[in-house]
Amino acid sequence: MKPIYLDYAATTPVREEVRAAMAPCLAEAFGNPSSVHRWGREAAGRLEAAREEAAAALGARPSEIRFVRGGTESDNLAVLGWSRAQVEAGATPSVVVSSIEHHAVMHAAEQAEHEGACVTRLPVTPSGEIDLDAADGALSSAPALASVMWVNNETGLTLPLGALLERAAARGALVHSDAAQAVGKVPVDVRRVPVAMLSATGHKIYGPKGTGLLFVREGTPLAPLVHGGGQERGLRAGTEDVAGAVGLALAMRLAVEEQASEAARLTPLRERLAELLCASLDGVRINAGTAPHRAPHVLSVGIAGIEDGSALLMALDLEGLAVSGGSACLSGAAKASHVMRALYGARDPHATVRFSFGRATDMAAVEHAASITVRVVGRLRAA
Amino acid sequence: MSRVLVAMSGGVDSSVAAALLVEAGHEVVGVTMKTFCYSETPDHGKTCCGLDGISDAKRVAHALGMPHYVFDVEQDFTRDVIDDFVREYARGRTPNPCVRCNGNTKFRDLMARGRALGCDRIASGHYVRIEHTSAGSRLRRGRDGAKDQAYFLWGLPPELVPGLLFPVGELTKDEVRDRARQLGLVTADKPESQEICFVPTGDYRDLLHRRLVRHPALEPGDIVRTDGEVVGRHQGFAGFTVGQRRGLGGGFPEALYVLEIRPESRQVLVGTRDELFRDRVVVGELNWLGEAPALGETLEVQLRHRAPPVACVVEANGEELELGLAEPRPAITPGQSAVLFEGDVLRGGGRIVRASRAEMSTRATGEAAGSLGA
Repeated sequence: MKPIYLDYAATTPVREEVRAAMAPCLAEAFGNPSSVHRWGREAAGRLEAAREEAAAALGARPSEIRFVRGGTESDNLAVLGWSRAQVEAGATPSVVVSSIEHHAVMHAAEQAEHEGACVTRLPVTPSGEIDLDAADGALSSAPALASVMWVNNETGLTLPLGALLERAAARGALVHSDAAQAVGKVPVDVRRVPVAMLSATGHKIYGPKGTGLLFVREGTPLAPLVHGGGQERGLRAGTEDVAGAVGLALAMRLAVEEQASEAARLTPLRERLAELLCASLDGVRINAGTAPHRAPHVLSVGIAGIEDGSALLMALDLEGLAVSGGSACLSGAAKASHVMRALYGARDPHATVRFSFGRATDMAAVEHAASITVRVVGRLRAA
Repeated sequence: MSRVLVAMSGGVDSSVAAALLVEAGHEVVGVTMKTFCYSETPDHGKTCCGLDGISDAKRVAHALGMPHYVFDVEQDFTRDVIDDFVREYARGRTPNPCVRCNGNTKFRDLMARGRALGCDRIASGHYVRIEHTSAGSRLRRGRDGAKDQAYFLWGLPPELVPGLLFPVGELTKDEVRDRARQLGLVTADKPESQEICFVPTGDYRDLLHRRLVRHPALEPGDIVRTDGEVVGRHQGFAGFTVGQRRGLGGGFPEALYVLEIRPESRQVLVGTRDELFRDRVVVGELNWLGEAPALGETLEVQLRHRAPPVACVVEANGEELELGLAEPRPAITPGQSAVLFEGDVLRGGGRIVRASRAEMSTRATGEAAGSLGA
């Protein structure tokens, strides 16, 4: 039986159109965009076209797009770069994050804390509610930045950015959002949701790994994290990865173009998988299942009666089903993630399996995945 | 469907064990056990089970085309092995953590998680031979006498033995390295790991000082001769093991060795090499892989990893086993293993409780000798 990949929220293959667009940038159009000569001008032309394409996909202006080397770097530049800019100006920055942010934001905030920022971590309920009143003080102490993700990577939970933005605006605070799991999955437009900064990455949307961008609304103070040449308007030194930028921008445009139709196609697959698992297994909980808004490409399931969640993932892999648990640590030994602990507490007796869907996922794959999961869970519960 | 789970430390022996199983046509799943948090040790990654070991095991598994996973056993390992290690030193004994791990943690955990993965057999790179017959399974010493590791496996839960495979037990170390080179395995020329995996610095006293705060085992005490004469001071009896010469201070007319550690009085008893010899051993925490030894049965007992075995007669076999040795042996150390063999067949073993000498009655061993009726 052909193995089934249901881990698109971890990463995706680079789609053919993207590979084709990148190829010339690795070959004849190899120049350094900073060079004066024709090779340099050719590369710079492609880079700026990519910037325009990425900006359009997000409803931004090209001058507001900074290409960086991945989503993690983008999050770090937003949170830590903003915090450092405040410290350099002699202020004590206040950073507010949700308790289910990606490690890239969590640890960047922690670093900002070491460097003098006050960090407030907001609890989130399984239905996606954030107690904004609890954030009031932190948002009111100028300067303040709230970093709250658009879509949570482990559960698909969509967070209430609109309400947060209103509150932040009333208190004079800025908002950054990690949209790595949102672009191409749900509508993302910085005109409609007026965040100050937004992070995106290429490899979750069929673009290349190691590519990302930060949307920075004009006038947002930021200090660079990487020092060197003045590339990306002084915010990201180092010769630009033109192929990467071209790949990211095209992947982003295609993902945004296909967002509505893909969401309409994936939502029933997600619902079908949830239905099959709940019908065949006791002790199954759809994580964040009560939330009013969830991204269509993620189904996170809590399964009771499994002593060792990591063994479940390994057993599923051996049966040909590739999925994730919570976050995996460096060495591959899985433990309950900070996200699941934040949503369901440290003593939650459920093992987590995250199924995530993509362009190649169809109903047959979902039904087969359900049957493998039911069989393996049965075996583990018996063991 | 039958799968074999192979424990891969990232060393050459388990790499070749995995390769041999793949070659034999088994469906093989490799695992590396993550036993403790390496980032908390100053020199992490040095030993075979460090993160380097994990990545080496992954590279080998990838080259062999088999899946590889990491089992995080930190909690169980800490409780069953490290805590025991610390407790034993605190009691003035000298533990065998690898024996403890094999018996209490490693194989039990591999079997339990292996079942979850649909594996009904467990393999490792130990140099021992295993025979599965209709009459049962038995473990024999590895073919390479210099590398034999049967000593470390006496504590295996007997119910697990029928499901075990030791593919390199029929090979010598040189043959294992040759096979690894032929297969182009990255681990072919990796040096042997000698240290205890959770003591990568090689000095277990660092660990004791972290874990035993203001404990009598780390308080100064007297170094005494068997006649009661105080000949020096020490900085904590946990730093000593029976048979040790170093750390006693110099200036003695003759070479002195640790004969015994007395935790109640914090004394370290020392004496000459002659005084180190014992010929009666009491063994506790017994484990038998087949039938328990009968009263009066003659077997061979191995009292240290590298020590040659010595013939012994079973003089009592209740909760504890009492053995009379055919000839006295030096530095028989409480806490270490007494491993019983019948020829090259591993029968089982236990932990040494105490040792005595039949024809000598020193203050050190008088009580023990008395209880043996000597």
